[in-house]
Amino acid sequence: MSNSFDSQIEIAWCPGCGNFGILRALKGALTELEFSPEEVVLVSGIGQAAKLPHYIAVNVFNGLHGRSIPVALAIKTVNPRLLVIAESGDGCMYGEGGNHFLHALRRNPDITVIVHDNQVYGLTKGQASPTSEEGFVSKAQPWGNISTSLNPLSLAISQDASFVARGFSGDVDRLKEIIKAALTWNGFSLVDVLQPCVTFNRVNTFAWYKERVYYLEDSYQPEDRIRALEKSLEWGDKIPLGVIYRHQRPTFQDKIYSRIEKEDLIYRGIDFDDLLSRELKLFV
Amino acid sequence: MDLNLLVGGEAGQGVQTVSGALSTILQRSGYFVFSIEDYQSRIRGGHSFTQVRFSNIPCRAALKMVDILICLNEETYELHRERVKEGGWILGAVKKEEGAPSFHLIPLNFEEIAKEVGNKIFANVVAIGAILGILGLDFKIADNYLEENFARKGKEIVEKNKQALKRGRDEVIPYFFSSLIEGTKREKIPLLVLDGNQALGLGALLSGCQFYSAYPMTPSTGILNFLSSRAQDYGIAVEQAEDEISAINMAIGASYAGARAMTGTSGGGFCLMSEGLGLAAMTETPLVVVDAQRPGPSTGLPTRTSQGDLEFVLHASHDEFPRFVFAPREPQEAINLVIRAFNLAEKYQVPVIILSDQYLADSKWTYENLEVRERPDVPQFSSFPLPYRRYLISPSGVSPRAIPGLSKALVVADSDEHDEFGHLTEDLSLRVEMHQKRMRKKETMKEEVRLPYYEEGKDLTLVGWGSTWGVIKEVQERLRMEGIDSGIIHFSEIYPLPLKIEELFGHTSRPIVIENNYGGQLANLLEGELHLPFPLRINSYDGRPFLVEELLLKVKEVGKNE
Repeated sequence: MSNSFDSQIEIAWCPGCGNFGILRALKGALTELEFSPEEVVLVSGIGQAAKLPHYIAVNVFNGLHGRSIPVALAIKTVNPRLLVIAESGDGCMYGEGGNHFLHALRRNPDITVIVHDNQVYGLTKGQASPTSEEGFVSKAQPWGNISTSLNPLSLAISQDASFVARGFSGDVDRLKEIIKAALTWNGFSLVDVLQPCVTFNRVNTFAWYKERVYYLEDSYQPEDRIRALEKSLEWGDKIPLGVIYRHQRPTFQDKIYSRIEKEDLIYRGIDFDDLLSRELKLFV
Repeated sequence: MDLNLLVGGEAGQGVQTVSGALSTILQRSGYFVFSIEDYQSRIRGGHSFTQVRFSNIPCRAALKMVDILICLNEETYELHRERVKEGGWILGAVKKEEGAPSFHLIPLNFEEIAKEVGNKIFANVVAIGAILGILGLDFKIADNYLEENFARKGKEIVEKNKQALKRGRDEVIPYFFSSLIEGTKREKIPLLVLDGNQALGLGALLSGCQFYSAYPMTPSTGILNFLSSRAQDYGIAVEQAEDEISAINMAIGASYAGARAMTGTSGGGFCLMSEGLGLAAMTETPLVVVDAQRPGPSTGLPTRTSQGDLEFVLHASHDEFPRFVFAPREPQEAINLVIRAFNLAEKYQVPVIILSDQYLADSKWTYENLEVRERPDVPQFSSFPLPYRRYLISPSGVSPRAIPGLSKALVVADSDEHDEFGHLTEDLSLRVEMHQKRMRKKETMKEEVRLPYYEEGKDLTLVGWGSTWGVIKEVQERLRMEGIDSGIIHFSEIYPLPLKIEELFGHTSRPIVIENNYGGQLANLLEGELHLPFPLRINSYDGRPFLVEELLLKVKEVGKNE
C-alpha cells in the first residue's frame, strides 16, 4: 500500500514484529477516511510501539513514557479540528500512564487511544508488563510474574468508557476497520491491539493468538454494558475481537466549549485594553 | 498614620472573613492596605491569624508590633498580647490582667452579641463593627460592603448584618473618646486591592493565556480558582488534572497545539513536574510554570512561606537546558512578569519558571493605579519551507515554530534526541549540534534579563529576591532614618543572571543577602557565577515572612563593622 502517509524514516522494529500490522492498519484507516496528513496528530510515549508516529507522515508529538493521553487531550481541546490519536504500548498506557488512562475514561476526551498490547516490555528487553500473565518468566521475574494481569477492557467498560474495542495485529484488514470505527467515534475510543512480540514473548505468539481469537458476531449489541463486561472478561481459550462496548456521551471538549462559548481556543485572542479595564473594576 | 491590626482565632471562626472585609473597607475608605495570612493546614480548630496594616502612604511589609488585637478566642490573646504596643487596644476574648496593663482592654463576646441580634453567625460582623468603631470609620462603606456580599441571601439577612455591625460599634463607644484615625483621612481616591495569586492569574489573562491545567496545592490553588472564575468570560480552558504530571503534560500539549498555556503548583508538585519541564525543554515547547513555594522537604509546612526552591528550579530535570527563572516582588510586578514570561517562553521556546511563595500568594496589596507596562507579544513565523524542519539549526538556536494544522507543515516534536525534522536520531555528532543549538539560546536570553532593583548605599547593601522586596525596602528606609546609608540590590529576574551584574556588585558596599531559606541560595548562585564572596547572610526558615522590626535588628547585627 502506498499513500501520502508514507514516511522515509527507517523502521527500528524487529523483523516480523506485530507493530507492522498496526502501522499498516492505521495508515490504511487514515487513507480510507481521507484525512490529509496535516489534520492528524499522533501522540505517543516511550517504547517500541511509541516509535510508530515517526513512520507515518503526520504531525507528531513523541513525548514522555506514559504521558501521551494528557498531551493528546490538550491538543484536541485547543484545536478540535485536528484528529488526535494517542498510541503506545501496554507498559506505557497501562503502567507508567495508568493514572492518566483512568482519568481519560472519566473525562471522555474526543481522542483515540491505540494500545499495542504485547504483554511484555520490548524496549527494555523482556520484563513483565501490566498485562503479562501471572507466572510469566523473565530476567526480572525469574520466579515468574507474581501479579495477575490487568484487564484494560473490563476496566474501561466498568468506567463507562465511550468506545472500547480489541483488534489483532495479525489481521490487518479487520484491525483497519476497527480503527476506522474508533477514529470516527465522537468521544474517547480505546483500541487494545493484541500484538505478538516475536523476540521477548514466547508465550503469547502469533500462533497462540490465532488459535484463540474470534470476531464478535454481527448480531452482537455493543450498547449492552453488562454483556460487554462479560465479553471483556473472556480470555484464555477464546478471545473476542471487535467493538465490545459503545456509549455515546458528551465529550470533554463538548463540555469545555459549552462553558466558554467561544470559537476554537487556537483562534481566540484578547482585547488587552478592554480586558484590563474590565478587570481593574473588579479589584476596586 | 500607620496602624497594624491582628485578627486571630481558630480555623473556621472566620479570621479570613474579618480580615478580608477589613482590607476592602479600609481600601475603599481611601487607605493603603497590606495584609498577610498565617494559617494552619486544617479546616477547623488550631490557630490562625491575619495582619492588616493600613496607612495613608503605601505600605508593603508586615510589622511585628500591633496597634489593635482582635481576639476571636482566648488563645489569640495568650499568643499575641506581647506584640501589642503601649497604648494599643485589645478587644474580644480578653483575659483579666494583674495590675495595670500598658494597653486598653475591651472585653467583648462577639458570639453573645450576635445571638442578641438573632444568630451567632453574625459574630464576625459584630467584630468588624467593633474595629470600625474604634477606628472611627464612616459606616456607609461598610454597609455597602455588606449589601454587596449578602444581597443574594435576601433583604432580611442584609438588615441583620447591618444591625450586627452597628451593635459592634455601639459596644466600643464607651471605651474611646476620639477616632484613632481622625485627622489622617485621605482624599477619596479609587484604590485597587489584590493578592499575589490573583495578580499571577491576572497576568495570565492579560497574556492571552488560553489553557491552564493544575492540581490543587497550597499555596498555588488561588491561581486555579481565579482563572476558573474568569474561564467563561474570556474563553479559557481550565482543567484540574489528576496529578501534577498530567497538569504539566496538558500544558505542554496545549502549547504545542498553539495555545498560550500555563501550569501552577508548589514545590512538592514541581517535583512531579520536573520530568515535564525537561520535555518542554527538549521539544522546545514554550511553557510557563508557577512554583508558589512553601517549606519542605516533602510535605513540609503546607500553609507557610519559604524561598527554598531557587536552587531546585535552577537545576530541575536531568541534563542541561536553558530556562528563565523569575520571582515577582509584589502583585503589580507579578502581573507584568507573567506577561513577560509568556513572551519570552515563546520567543526562545523555553520553559519560564515563576517563583512565588505563600507570603506573596496570600498577601493583599493596594495600589492607586496598576501599572501594566508589558504587552503580549506573539512571535510570527509565516513561511515554512517543506519538508518542515521543526528544529532547524540556526545561529540563535531558535527555530521557526509551526503550529500543527495551521499550514502544510507537519510538526514533529520528540522527547528523544532528534534531527532537524524532529525524528529521533542516534547520530552522535548530530546530538552534539542539537545540544549546542539548545544551549546557545542562553547567550541571547542573558541579554533579555533586566538588572535588579538597585539603590546605592555607602554603608551596606541589602540583597534579596522575590517577595522580600517590601520588607527590605522598609528596613532600608528605617536604616537611613537612623543615619545608616543602606543600598538595595533586589532581583525579580534571577536567571540567567543579567549581563553587567558583575559591574553592579563591583562597587557595592558590604552586601547582606537576605533569604527565606537555610543555605543562602541566591548568595550561592552569585558566588558561583560572579566569583565574589557573599559572607554576610541573613536566613530565616521558620515558615514565616520577615517582619520589619525583626529584620531591622538582624541587619544591624550582621552589618556591624568589626
